[in-house]
Amino acid sequence: MTNHWIDIRNADCVLIIGSNAAENHPICMKYVLEAQDRGAKVIHVDPRYSRTSSKADVFVRIRTGTDIAFMGGMILHILNDMRLNPGNYNLEYVQHYTNAAYIVNDGVKLPGDTDQNGLFSGWADGKYDTATWKYANTAAATAEAKLLTPNWEGWTNRAADENTAWGELNNNCVLKLLWRNYKRYDKAAVSKITGIPVDKLEAVYAEYAKTGAKGKAGTIMYAMGATQHTYGSQNIRAYSLVQLLLGNMGVAGGGINALRGTSNVQGSTDQALLEQYLPGYLKTTTDTDAHQTLAGYVANITPAATNPPGELGGDNPVNWWKNTPKYVHSLLKAWWPNVALADSFNYLPKKKASGVNYTHMGLIQAIGEGKIEGLWIWGQNPAAGGPTSLGARDALKKLKWMVASDIWFNETHTFWKRPGVTSGDIQTEVFLLPAAGSFEKEGSVSNSGRWVQWRYRAVEPPGEAIPDLDMMIRLFKRIRELYVKEGGTFADPIVNLGWEYSDEEEADVIAREMNGYALTADVPKSGSPGTFYEVGELIDWFNDLQTDGRTSSGNWLHCGQYTKAGEADLQNYPELITSPNGIKSINKARKRNTVDSSPNQVGLYPNWSWCWPRNRRIIYNRAAVDLDGNPWDAEHPVLAWNGTTWVGDVVDGGGNPINLAADGAKNLPFIMNVEGVGKLWGYGLKDGPIPEVYEPWESPISNLMTAQQNDPAAYIGSLVVDGTDWNQRGTVEEFPYVATTYRCTEHWQTGIMTRNLPWLAELMPDMYVELGEDLAADLGIASGDTVKVRSARGEIQALAVVTKRFQAITVDGKAIHQVGFPWHWGYAGRVTGDSGNVLTPHVGDANTSIPESKSFLCKVEKA
Amino acid sequence: MKEMIERKKGFPWGTLILSVLAFLCAGVLVQRYVFGLGAMTNMSDGRGWGLWISFDLYCGVALAAGGFTLAALVHIFNMEKYHPVVRPAILTAFLGYLLVVLALLVDLGQPWYIWRMIFNPNIHSPLYEVGWCVMLYTAVLALELSPAVFERLHWRIPLKIIGFIQIPLIIAGIVISTGHQNSLGSMLLIMTHSIDPLWYTPIIPALFFVSAMAVGPAMVIFEGTLSGAVFGHKISQEVFTGLGRITSGILAVYLIMRLADLAVAGQFDMLFNRYPQNIYWWIEILGGVVLPIILFNIPKVQQSKKGMFVAALLYIILGLSFNRFIMSSIWLVIRPGYTYFPSWQEFAVSIGLVAWALMMFQIAMRLLPIAGHHGEEEAKSEHAAPEATPAA
Amino acid sequence: MAYGVLYDGTRCIGCRSCSVACKSWNKNPADTDKETSVEGGIEGKAVVSDKTFTFMRFREIGDGDDLKWAFGKVQCMHCLKPGCETACIVGALHRKKATGAVTYDKQKCIGCRYCMVACPFGIPTYQWEERMPWIRKCTFCSDRLNEAENGMAPACVTACPTHAMEFGDRDELIEKAWARINAAPEGKYVRHVYGEKEVGGTAWMYISPVDMTELDFPWLSEEPVTKNARTAMGLLPYYATGMLALMAGIYFITKRKQKIAAGKHEEKKG
Repeated sequence: MTNHWIDIRNADCVLIIGSNAAENHPICMKYVLEAQDRGAKVIHVDPRYSRTSSKADVFVRIRTGTDIAFMGGMILHILNDMRLNPGNYNLEYVQHYTNAAYIVNDGVKLPGDTDQNGLFSGWADGKYDTATWKYANTAAATAEAKLLTPNWEGWTNRAADENTAWGELNNNCVLKLLWRNYKRYDKAAVSKITGIPVDKLEAVYAEYAKTGAKGKAGTIMYAMGATQHTYGSQNIRAYSLVQLLLGNMGVAGGGINALRGTSNVQGSTDQALLEQYLPGYLKTTTDTDAHQTLAGYVANITPAATNPPGELGGDNPVNWWKNTPKYVHSLLKAWWPNVALADSFNYLPKKKASGVNYTHMGLIQAIGEGKIEGLWIWGQNPAAGGPTSLGARDALKKLKWMVASDIWFNETHTFWKRPGVTSGDIQTEVFLLPAAGSFEKEGSVSNSGRWVQWRYRAVEPPGEAIPDLDMMIRLFKRIRELYVKEGGTFADPIVNLGWEYSDEEEADVIAREMNGYALTADVPKSGSPGTFYEVGELIDWFNDLQTDGRTSSGNWLHCGQYTKAGEADLQNYPELITSPNGIKSINKARKRNTVDSSPNQVGLYPNWSWCWPRNRRIIYNRAAVDLDGNPWDAEHPVLAWNGTTWVGDVVDGGGNPINLAADGAKNLPFIMNVEGVGKLWGYGLKDGPIPEVYEPWESPISNLMTAQQNDPAAYIGSLVVDGTDWNQRGTVEEFPYVATTYRCTEHWQTGIMTRNLPWLAELMPDMYVELGEDLAADLGIASGDTVKVRSARGEIQALAVVTKRFQAITVDGKAIHQVGFPWHWGYAGRVTGDSGNVLTPHVGDANTSIPESKSFLCKVEKA
Repeated sequence: MKEMIERKKGFPWGTLILSVLAFLCAGVLVQRYVFGLGAMTNMSDGRGWGLWISFDLYCGVALAAGGFTLAALVHIFNMEKYHPVVRPAILTAFLGYLLVVLALLVDLGQPWYIWRMIFNPNIHSPLYEVGWCVMLYTAVLALELSPAVFERLHWRIPLKIIGFIQIPLIIAGIVISTGHQNSLGSMLLIMTHSIDPLWYTPIIPALFFVSAMAVGPAMVIFEGTLSGAVFGHKISQEVFTGLGRITSGILAVYLIMRLADLAVAGQFDMLFNRYPQNIYWWIEILGGVVLPIILFNIPKVQQSKKGMFVAALLYIILGLSFNRFIMSSIWLVIRPGYTYFPSWQEFAVSIGLVAWALMMFQIAMRLLPIAGHHGEEEAKSEHAAPEATPAA
Repeated sequence: MAYGVLYDGTRCIGCRSCSVACKSWNKNPADTDKETSVEGGIEGKAVVSDKTFTFMRFREIGDGDDLKWAFGKVQCMHCLKPGCETACIVGALHRKKATGAVTYDKQKCIGCRYCMVACPFGIPTYQWEERMPWIRKCTFCSDRLNEAENGMAPACVTACPTHAMEFGDRDELIEKAWARINAAPEGKYVRHVYGEKEVGGTAWMYISPVDMTELDFPWLSEEPVTKNARTAMGLLPYYATGMLALMAGIYFITKRKQKIAAGKHEEKKG
């Protein structure tokens, strides 16, 4: 999240889209309801009326996979409404904090342009060359000056008819490009694609657009319903676009807020358990020429700033990623403390830049092709948790061995004796290492709001179970021993790792390493100029990390979490004080102060745990104030300039407010972007600078917007095991109903924890599919019947739950039925059932390869 | 001795059937106590009371009302005409009450704790009243029956003692038994919204009292006709006719009470639009109350043994038992949607207990001076009973 | 002073944390005997049983744009004038004056199940499968209320993530309920506090966006279910005395008549 959970209560309008917050993040509803009590409207957009919809003021039934059409329509609505009634919006914000006025390369073409056939410019050889998406001048952006005049008074024909008004602007300025693209997204067109009636669209757009007013904020809460599509990243882009146009980024009650899918997945992505990152979202090293040396790699991934046009108030884009070298060098020092940086750089594995997909689906594919000998899984269940389960299960037989760390036997551990296979035919050797559960060990859990909350051991783990950390350390020690004794291919990275831990190491020690230390006596403290860190002192600001090996930091995001204890800390938190290297220090993630000391109690709770970066609770918070440093919303201030300093949250990027800063130091708010402003127009994603309507891989209709049916850069996997490709594609003739998958409160992920708990298993023992009363009547199915659900990837049986909450929608004049089911079941555990993921396709997002579990086709019939 | 026991010719089919039923019941009871109620009844949380409460308790107690009504008629109202049927009525009542107690020992979840009723009084509970009074009245009935036993055993002194306390005993018996006929109704007063409004009324106790009084004479007709056929002892048609008139008189009052109650509650229209409950009401009232009233007053019927038997049976089954079943089970809806039909084991217990009671009745009729008896007159020898007919 | 709980259907998200918290506190086992229900458009429990003291009832009400998915938590209502308390032969069910909890003492129970049929909400359940069966129902977490000075509310109330339930003084909760209804925009709540007056008042009270009867909570009048029964029992002594006097009177009258008739007869004879 850019904001955080409690902040939701500050919103004037809550848009929950691609999320079932009440069922899957029930505790957050406390804050949604609080917002509602204060007068906020709650809008829920979902294919299915769920427990979240029951609390919403407005429920919008949408065809799964059509968020871009819906949001595109909203963008068009806002663009024209802003044009006609700029007073209803925060024009200053759009002008000074976004790239709305920036002029893009004149070679740029949009999907709706003649002969583009649904593609942006630059598509060649199966991918996009993004050169034409960049600014006309990438070093110093140029702008459409009319858009930067106060109140748009320079835009003379602004209030004229649409074409005349927009025609006046530079054809390639961002705002004009947005209009050029989204003018095809009129409400009639959007209605045809999404199945939402026109009057509903009007009402919802108007309601949410109200949050564009100065001092008003709208929050967008989303989850896997938005991300698990072949264009999932573009879905999120669509939300960001709207939030930037409405001035909702960086303010209290606003933001782009992902409700993370598990309690610590934020932690896992922060620590780079995704294949494309190193800890702290640094890009992984690849086999390209640029990445052959540390210097080359760092140069390649460290971006150069794009200076803003002169008409903008701010003149310093800050470009925080320019600090990348510090982070990379400090990371290398954390892992290999006694190795020269140039050498330890070569210890990092270099993945192939192209041709191999290293994500979950790619891994399963490689396993199925016999390319992987052994698999180590930690609290994971690919046999039920990933798409195309039957293929995934079949693929596993190719493994020579599998080691799993888990608290229960799950479908993956028992794949070799699952129903329907002869265990004697499978040669895989499976080892299960019993693991401690989350309340049986100490450590941190990073929630969706980036809050790193420390957890304590409540009970001892049973039997021989031990925490994953201890397992990893012991394994490492034995492996290192083997390398030392027997040698091996490239032993250095293992042998030289600086992991001098005990067998029962404390997570606290790891937390310090992640934070980072000063390794020499001459590391300056930028917080108090003229002073230096002691050797072995914990770094308190990632700004102080150095590029030459004088500092270490396992994850620059966490730098500042664990620091030398100040006076206030020594007084207020004596029980939390530790003494690493003899220096009194404090792990701020352990703090549990329930006093909300933020201005107007806007909910920041700065002393409850610690969040990255730097305990900044709302990121991009400089956008919450005007150029003089006064908050747009005095009632819910995130920051305010009091004449000498900032009061409130930890300010993003430092320095004075723009109008009170020296030239060259007028810092722009979006410091993680090279241009320092919010990107209405982008150029970093693989499938487009702005979102465009595409249909899911399996869709009931042709793309009504353009001839390009699917996202051209989508990842289409092939799950081939012994000659059979499990990833078959279904047609609407054979599979006439649109399917989606979801979760429920009672069960968790693949259900291994919850289906083994009697109190939860008794509430929902059976795998179920939900279908509308209308469809059920057509099929002769009564609620409680057993039904078969089939897709091109397989077939399952499920309990039919007939409900009013699914209803047929009209898409392109045709009635479309949607059905849905959870993926919490499998053949392992106390109560069993068929897995929802048997039916999902092995395709994923163009940028992240997250599987498209949310939109595909199926058939339902009585069993 | 010998003349008391008639030798029956031919195979004793009746006894055999009754014995089989009684044995079956015993077997089922083993299942009940070893495996619990859930294993052999269809009662459930939505239907906490079943056949045993409706039939054995509600109908059982009501149908045993013959005991107090006949005792009242003969000893309080001094209607000598009905003397021949007093003792059979009391025997029926006594066995009936034993049956109730036994059935309760089966139905109670933990009958071994029944003594808790003595030490943990809840004087507000109608069932508390019922429990105590059933206990007491069973004892009273035993005492009222004891003269027959004492006569058989020729124990003069106990006979004298009983004779001495007979009237107070009978009055006490009447008060106790009518009291818990009321209270059986009071029990249902708590189910204000669960008993269908066609039957629920604040005057349920009064209705139960009146309908119980009415069924006493009818039961005597029923039981008298049957035992006349089985044992051959004759009761004069006049006795039956008289009993029939008493019943029909009380039923007339009962009918007026039922109708007036509906009128006062403004629920008359329910008789026509509250489907399907109204069907049950019409069957109960037309078939079980109105028809018997008419029949009991038609001379042809009055003279016919069969006719009187049918008229009595109509009231007993449709007017009384059906009513009790409706109010304690069929239209007592605690949780909507739950259905209930007794399991074969539940039937086996109820039928088995009745079979056992019939066998006891048979034995008592053979061994004890019950039928057509004047023994107490001999003992007391205060008044001649000029209209009593001698035993056949 | 007695406690109450105010359940607000506009805050409940049907997550069933309350069900699980209740199971945990009471150490109730899973109820695998009952079939899974799909009532109300969701898989789950739809009855209280000897192992399940509370469940969430779901109902889909209306259609199209007017569709509402409403939720209602079902458990013992802890009536102010409990039918079960009056019914129980042995006084095993008793409403504690201090807390308002209707508690069950198995040291007194004989298993007559009168409480089960006396309850207008059909709450008390029975351990049909046990050889030594007891009545089971929500205890209002009496063992937690005894710690009330320490502020322990019932387990379900404590577990609820959205504070859909509020625990406190019953009279204060009634005020709060009406305040909430009156402060809310038109149509957010049905203008009724279910349990405020029904059957003489219950400790558990409900405000909701739909009528509670649409959630299959029974429609009940304000008269306590105990009223008629207690009146009848109160009249019993009078009835007994009256009957006694009547019977005795009739006996003496008819005996006298007989004596006179016999005397006349004797006279005639003699």
